[in-house]
Amino acid sequence: MIRMYIKTMFRNLWKNKTFSFINIMGLSVGLTSCLLIAVYIKQQLDFDAFQEKGNRIARVLMEYSFEGSTVSNKGNYTSVRVPLVLKNNFPEVEDAVILAQTKRIVQTGANLITENRFMYAGTSFFKMFSFKMLKGDAGTALAAPFQVLLTASTAKKYFGHTDPVGKTLRLTGDSNLYRVTGVVADCPAASQIQFDFLASFSSLGISKEHEESYWDANYTTYVLLRNREALTTLQAKLPAFMKEEMEGKHATVNFDLEPFRKVHLYSGYDAFLPNVPIRYIYILAGVAALILVIACFTYINLSTARSAERAKEVGIRKVAGANKGQLFWQFIGESALLCFIAVFVGMAAGALLLPAFSRLIGQPVAVASLFSLPILGVAAGIILLVSFTAGCYPALVLSAFQPVKVLKGAFKHAGQGQRLRRALIIFQFIISVFLIVSTCIIQQQLYYIRHKKLGYDREHIVKLPIPFTVENTDLIKSEFKQDAGVLQVARTNNTPVNMVSGYNMRTPDMPENAQIAVTANPIDNEVLPAIGLQLAAGANLTEQDIIDANGNGGANERLYHFILNESAARQLGWTPQEAIGKKMFLDESRPGYVRGVVKDFNFQSLQHSIKPIVLFSSTYGGTLLIKISGAHMPQTIAFLQSKWKQLMPDRPFEYRFLDDEYNDLYENELRFGKLMNVFAAIAIFLACAGLFGLSVYTAQQRIKEIGVRKVLGAATGSIIFLLSRDFIKLALIASMIAFPFAWWFMRSWLQHYEYRIAMSGWVFAAAALATLLIALVTVSVQATRAALSNPVKALRSE
Amino acid sequence: MIKITNLEKIYRTEEVETVALNDLSFEVRDGEFVAVMGPSGCGKSTLLNILGLLDDPDAGSFLFNGVEVAKFNERKRADMRKKNIGFVFQSFNLIDELTVFENVELPLMYAGVKKSERKARVDEVLEKVQIMHRRNHFPQQLSGGQQQRVAVARAVVNKPKLILADEPTGNLDSSNGNEVMQMLTDLNEAGTTIVMVTHSEHDARYSHRIIRMLDGHTVTENILV
Repeated sequence: MIRMYIKTMFRNLWKNKTFSFINIMGLSVGLTSCLLIAVYIKQQLDFDAFQEKGNRIARVLMEYSFEGSTVSNKGNYTSVRVPLVLKNNFPEVEDAVILAQTKRIVQTGANLITENRFMYAGTSFFKMFSFKMLKGDAGTALAAPFQVLLTASTAKKYFGHTDPVGKTLRLTGDSNLYRVTGVVADCPAASQIQFDFLASFSSLGISKEHEESYWDANYTTYVLLRNREALTTLQAKLPAFMKEEMEGKHATVNFDLEPFRKVHLYSGYDAFLPNVPIRYIYILAGVAALILVIACFTYINLSTARSAERAKEVGIRKVAGANKGQLFWQFIGESALLCFIAVFVGMAAGALLLPAFSRLIGQPVAVASLFSLPILGVAAGIILLVSFTAGCYPALVLSAFQPVKVLKGAFKHAGQGQRLRRALIIFQFIISVFLIVSTCIIQQQLYYIRHKKLGYDREHIVKLPIPFTVENTDLIKSEFKQDAGVLQVARTNNTPVNMVSGYNMRTPDMPENAQIAVTANPIDNEVLPAIGLQLAAGANLTEQDIIDANGNGGANERLYHFILNESAARQLGWTPQEAIGKKMFLDESRPGYVRGVVKDFNFQSLQHSIKPIVLFSSTYGGTLLIKISGAHMPQTIAFLQSKWKQLMPDRPFEYRFLDDEYNDLYENELRFGKLMNVFAAIAIFLACAGLFGLSVYTAQQRIKEIGVRKVLGAATGSIIFLLSRDFIKLALIASMIAFPFAWWFMRSWLQHYEYRIAMSGWVFAAAALATLLIALVTVSVQATRAALSNPVKALRSE
Repeated sequence: MIKITNLEKIYRTEEVETVALNDLSFEVRDGEFVAVMGPSGCGKSTLLNILGLLDDPDAGSFLFNGVEVAKFNERKRADMRKKNIGFVFQSFNLIDELTVFENVELPLMYAGVKKSERKARVDEVLEKVQIMHRRNHFPQQLSGGQQQRVAVARAVVNKPKLILADEPTGNLDSSNGNEVMQMLTDLNEAGTTIVMVTHSEHDARYSHRIIRMLDGHTVTENILV
């Protein structure tokens, strides 16, 4: 019997190729999308799952504020004191480790290689984290200064197939050689801790003085708790403990514990990889569900629309002795088989598309993960769900046909399920309009982010890392400026894209303990013109200011000059004009005078509002910003490179454009935008495929009516209008229903941005228009064909 | 085999009420070949549907082999139908997606007959209706006469006690029509009871008795044999 059902199904599929193609293609595309999204979501949900003690590990966040200040700062930074204090004072803590990731330049022969994933780690690293040791002893590998472990790929990169253990590596700026003490397996992609080199933390030579301080918080601390519940008890104890610790220090410091496995998706603070906000996971899961719903609705629509064609079969089977149950299961079986084919095609397509999908999500995804048990489970679940949800209604409709009516031709299909089909089309259009509006607004917001006037220029600015304290900056500057394409060469520590260093400030009128937390950054006198910061009052730093900041080479006391932004001036109680020439202190150790006030500019992601910032005169800083004209750019870059080789032979020439660095800041958002584009397009395409199928069917059903109308003199245009009118009406109704949902949803999404676009009515109007056009084009293809057909044929066939 | 008494069937739409069967009573004995005739709309097909347990009457009694079946639910009707009744339609009603063999096999499958027995019985009946050489063809590859022979084969494969034929020659030329009528006669002579609805006086003459209907009830009965 089952064999016959399968045969019937395949013969039916073959006979109705258009519908079969639309159904299988629709379900396959829908399922491919769902499976790929499922793979992505699974990868995100499984982040750090390989860490065996992951559910007992917590990351420590530091929150601090200064006495009298209402501003508090929070971040994923701690001082070296934190792991020691937590381990020694709280029984809940079994162990703690401190980590610092930095960029190091490795010298191999004449080659200089910048390594961005150079991690320093405390000795407890392997007691807490499950990174697989391939060679060496985990207990001693990080025990002494200047020991380093390499990942398998790094070992191969530097030492080929020879055993690296015992060999040494030279890092620029370090007089000691690093001895390789072992090899660890490459970090899994789904790990918040990422490194290529893992060196002993003691190599950093942190002084005893720092071990006593909660400041100098430049490191990440993870603690291993005795059990999972200890997080709550420890968290409860910390405020009182820290209050005692900070007694008399005119500042408050507290620590928040984040469950290790929640960092990647739930924390507002990145780990060693950018986090993925959980809302993106929800949104993508929602999009996957919507795509599946559209594919299912198309299936239901086409199946019930074509029910008249299956009615005769149902009648005959009933006459031949089939009961309703048998027929119901026959049709459910058909949809299950169709789903199975679609899943099969979907899996194959998914495997083929995986490389492109990996690029889209910016993470490697192994083909094996598509065929992993959970994803196969999802696929099986989808088969069951779709078979029943999409198959149930057609099965019920078909199996309930009265054989008498069907076999005598009294069966009228026109009214059968028409209301439901209309409802499903409206629903598909609602989803389409919703996705069009959402995608447009997401793209608008992303465009806004990328093109917003930030208060500084980021075009044609080359960023070049230099040693923090290199002294021949003036020589480099003058040599670089020999090229006509080089307009400015400025030195700073952070670029304006992301200035994050925490300092504190006060005016002489304020007591010493009344500090205000502020972001600050050392600059020279060329930064303002290079990045085009606009002065609101006062003047730019002078060359003499930079010399003064250096204490004239140590001969005099250092004297600083400051450029404040308007917010910083305001916070100190000054208007921009009042601020000029005023004395102030930055971190107490930097007394100086305000030279200028620049207009507020965005020096962090647009998810944050503009905060106060102090730019202070300095001769040091780890970055050169080179403003170039943009004409003959390749030649200018080549010139800079040749000069760099002469002047800085022990540093690689690794430049980036400030634009690119800015775009990196929104990597997650841009990626999310691309994902939304792709999947919204798929959803709209699927809705159109369904609509097309239905329009083919409608045209077929009305072929006699079209014939009669043509014989009576109807013009082609009026027939196209006749066939398209209903669909257009449905698209309009759907738009009206979709608008409030889309408005509400996008309003919530935009709330995450401090700087956001205002949703304008034209986006909604354009989405409705686009949907109408898409519907019209889809339907009119078939309507035109029907309208141009020979009426005699249609009438004769009756 | 069949005894109907005061049978009534009324079709209602929102605006119109049509009386299809009106106080209809008659009997069909085992082994009889009865033709039902009458103008369009007189209730012939309604009667056949009720006799075939495809439809139920609104009132009256319907005894099938002595069992009152008028109030049977769908499941019971389906069960009774597949064990006792074969159908032949004017428009053949073969499933386009199934081959000749599969179409004929269908009632046996629903009756739960084993595969080996199914094959033997289908082959036997296909031989009988002389369509064996076309067993793997699809209906659309056959002529009307051939299709109706397949339909007859399907009707008899389950060895039903009763065959209901609804204008079995209506879509056939005279030569093919005569062949089909001869087949029905042969079946009847082999013991199968046949009730046939027809417009054709020629076809009706193959039967033993003609029941003439008008406006839902019988007007005359002619015994031919």
